[in-house]
Amino acid sequence: LCCGVVAAGVALASASLAQERLRVVTTTTDLRSLVEAVGGYRVDVTNIVPANVDAEEYQPKPSDAIRLKNTRVVVRVGLDYDLWFDRLLAQAALAQAGAHGIWRGGAGYVDASAAIAVLDIRGASVGPSDGHAHGSGNPHHWLDPKNADIITGNILEALARVDPEHGAYYEANRIAFLRRIEAKIGEWTAKLAPLQSRAMIAYHNDWAYFARRFRLNFAGFIEQRPGVPPSPAHLAELIRIMREQNVRSIVRQPFEPEKDARFLAEKTGATIVVLAGSVGGLPAAADYISLFDANVEALLAAQQSR
Amino acid sequence: MSDAISLLWPPFLVALCLIGIHAYFGIQVLARKVIFVDLALAQIAALGATVAFMLGHPTQAPATYGYSLAFTLLAALLLAFTRAWSSRVPQEALIGVIYVVAAAAAILLIDRAPQGAEHLKQILTGNILTSGVSELFSIVPLYLAIGLLHFGLRHRLSTAGQRSWLWEFVFYATFGVVVTSSVALAGVLLVFSFLIIPAAIGVLYADTLLRQLALGWSVGALASAAGLAASFALDLPTGAAMVCTFGVTLALAGMARPFLRGQAVPALKRAGMVARCGLAFVLAVSALQLMLAPRADQPLIDAFEYAFPALRTAYLNAGEAAVYGDAKLYAERYAREAEQLNVTEMRSRSQGEALDDAAVGRISSFLKSYGEMRKGEEFVMAEVRGRARERLRWPLAAAMLMAGVALVPGVASLFSSRRIRGM
Repeated sequence: LCCGVVAAGVALASASLAQERLRVVTTTTDLRSLVEAVGGYRVDVTNIVPANVDAEEYQPKPSDAIRLKNTRVVVRVGLDYDLWFDRLLAQAALAQAGAHGIWRGGAGYVDASAAIAVLDIRGASVGPSDGHAHGSGNPHHWLDPKNADIITGNILEALARVDPEHGAYYEANRIAFLRRIEAKIGEWTAKLAPLQSRAMIAYHNDWAYFARRFRLNFAGFIEQRPGVPPSPAHLAELIRIMREQNVRSIVRQPFEPEKDARFLAEKTGATIVVLAGSVGGLPAAADYISLFDANVEALLAAQQSR
Repeated sequence: MSDAISLLWPPFLVALCLIGIHAYFGIQVLARKVIFVDLALAQIAALGATVAFMLGHPTQAPATYGYSLAFTLLAALLLAFTRAWSSRVPQEALIGVIYVVAAAAAILLIDRAPQGAEHLKQILTGNILTSGVSELFSIVPLYLAIGLLHFGLRHRLSTAGQRSWLWEFVFYATFGVVVTSSVALAGVLLVFSFLIIPAAIGVLYADTLLRQLALGWSVGALASAAGLAASFALDLPTGAAMVCTFGVTLALAGMARPFLRGQAVPALKRAGMVARCGLAFVLAVSALQLMLAPRADQPLIDAFEYAFPALRTAYLNAGEAAVYGDAKLYAERYAREAEQLNVTEMRSRSQGEALDDAAVGRISSFLKSYGEMRKGEEFVMAEVRGRARERLRWPLAAAMLMAGVALVPGVASLFSSRRIRGM
């Protein structure tokens, strides 16, 4: 009888373990939202970089390494955007023996940029650089909603590898999500049509993918290299571009400094539009789809305010 | 040109105002031997602003300024009391500790707030280029008032004789107020240059406070104008360009001193001796590097090759030169074609016919291949050059060594130059 009770207990425990949700850690809020869309109730997702913090300059904390404990799947942006994540993974591997699944090349490791058509690749940056110090291209690929197709595909692959039992569930979630996105892209494109080809200026070259999808024209950037303030000649050039092309909007993210943007706005009469580069960047941008809703609304509001 | 002037005159005015008060404070700071006190006070003020930010006050609010001021005054009190805290450890040590602890405490605080890091960065890295005349309206009356106060209390605030802690407190408190506003305008690096460099040049050449000030102000104004002009002409970030111009100005002022004091001949002799010995040392080390690790970087040879490209053809044989030239041509071609693809793709984002996703994907993978191919060609270039250098390392290094020895003015004069330097 005793043995029977123990056996039943073990069986129950393993059943509840199987029902336990899959722990997933992402570097950014956008990836978290996309993992939630694919994983549904089966996954327990956390993001490392809080909303509205520059993920490129994030410095991991001890609690981040602890968070990776018992994590089955990790998702990163890639393209040198979250380089610090490598060291965090190395730390996690040191602390626990079973972390190899989330190591580069492991079953639970997802580089979201795999198979993305990368923009602004400038090799060893010999040519005139246009905004990013990255040799591997512009990393802001999630800002093209169509890229959600590829990113969620990468996520689905890893989830199904780690948890094959629920593969069909993940796949159905992804297809439903992509259908929603597809309909939304039509709506956003229609809304942004009046802004097409209308020149704008941005604080930093975060918007290449967004601009390509919705055919927006970013004619210049205030900060050309991360962390280096603009030179007077560059500001003069921007002012000339803004006057010539009748630029009416200067786009910046909430965490980007306001002073230089305000200076240009005062010189040219343009308005500053605050857009969210990531989920949570604006209060209205609560998930991946509302991120675009919020940005489209902000751009339209700036357009109508004149 | 009119672009340049319309962009540069507001920052020039701001620079003049900042130099006006900082040159004076700089002379006082040099006399008190508390060189880095401005960094400590600026960091304390930033800590105060961070606390205000954490409590929910916006950046420009009076409450934020109040917190900054309160923190600065507390630090001033601390500095005034600890002027002679120990004969064993200089006050500069305490100033350094205040700086690092304030910086670390601010980091701990902002770790709890989204956007906190950016907020802190904005307090400490003002950009003089985008500072306007409107900002002058708030700082000029403040600086005038503090200047008048110091003029009225000039006997009490002077560094001569016994100083009471109360007047030291007044000094540090007013200095803190000045630094807090100037750092937000021009950034830590530039404010430090405004503080120390004109004052140092003034003290170097003049004896009375008035003359030191006049000299510091004129030199500061000239250096600011030169820095701003260089920043425009050479397309450089303004603050950093100005700081380097100030550094060069100080170096020039230091070098000119012996000439103005009528000690030109011995000074020139000494400088020549130092230069020859330095050059000989560089040549010897380069020769050693070439002998031991011919494939490693050779900064001296690289610099010469950069200045005189013909030099390279001199040591490559015909076959090597052909391979090198080919690789160079191809590398340049790949770079050009990649750039053209990039431009085409970028134009297509908003103009003309849109490229479909497949086309963009193709361009993207072409660009990656071009990058790899260019890296391959660059590897070939480095390899050819490295092999040639390896082949020629013994005669080349021997020639460099001989040139180095020839530069040394003989053992006897080497010793005498040491004696002169030691004096």
